[in-house]
Amino acid sequence: MKDIARLNMSIKVTSLDALNDQIQMEGKASSSYLAMASWCDQNSYSGSAALFYRQASEEREHMMKIFKFINDCGGNAISPEISNINHDFSSLEEIFETALEQEIAVTKSINKIISLAKKTEDYAVENFLQWFVKEQLEEEKSMRDILDLFEVMGREGIAIKLIDERIK
Amino acid sequence: MKVVFRSKFYTLYQSDKEKCHYLDMDQKTIKLSFCQFLALRTKVRNIAIEDHFDSDLNKHGFEILMLCNKEHLFILNTLELLDLKSLVECSFMTIDIDQIASRTI
Ligand SMILES: [Fe+2]
Ligand SMILES: [Fe+2]
Repeated sequence: MKDIARLNMSIKVTSLDALNDQIQMEGKASSSYLAMASWCDQNSYSGSAALFYRQASEEREHMMKIFKFINDCGGNAISPEISNINHDFSSLEEIFETALEQEIAVTKSINKIISLAKKTEDYAVENFLQWFVKEQLEEEKSMRDILDLFEVMGREGIAIKLIDERIK
Repeated sequence: MKVVFRSKFYTLYQSDKEKCHYLDMDQKTIKLSFCQFLALRTKVRNIAIEDHFDSDLNKHGFEILMLCNKEHLFILNTLELLDLKSLVECSFMTIDIDQIASRTI
């Protein structure tokens, strides 16, 4: 029997499913950053708001990258349905802590797909995801750097305002 | 055409020549390109079968399934849906096993 899946699609079905889940995750990250941008805007943290608006569109770009890849490989990309976005935060620091946790979760998910791709000898997928590995390192670092500012400058009085001014 | 998987009500065939699948749905047989088969799998997976056991959520225990860009329409009851779900999952498992086998040989 011919391998019809392989004849129609250059990636494995298991990779396809994992990548569609990743589309969902990047889409959710984008919406989540948008909610953070909104909170920052409402609380007059314009530096942080600008950063989160940018992050939101970057996450959407990540999503689109995977979306295009799946379809280019002959697969079936699924447009994500996104719900349950948290809009409630108690401080600017909490927002950045949440952002870092979100980035770590994305990194873990990317790593999982890569190890699955390796196991199934789906090297095209492994190769495609290398870009994301590098991107995740940078994103985690930028969130950690900002969280360090809270340690250095403190959380009292004008400190938070000064931190926000340093964020671009 | 070869049989990929046969469930209680339905049968999935594969045509090597046309590089596609045929799904015998009892009332009619439909031709599925691989992408359409993937789309069918997504649709079937997204059916909330649990709702069928709650008369508030799904009063009549039926589901309308539109396939191949609305070319075909099926109305399936709970048992038929469960059967279709298992056919789809088992067929993909067969495809998966074939791919693993072809790698190791
Ligand atoms: Fe991302
Ligand atoms: Fe990110």
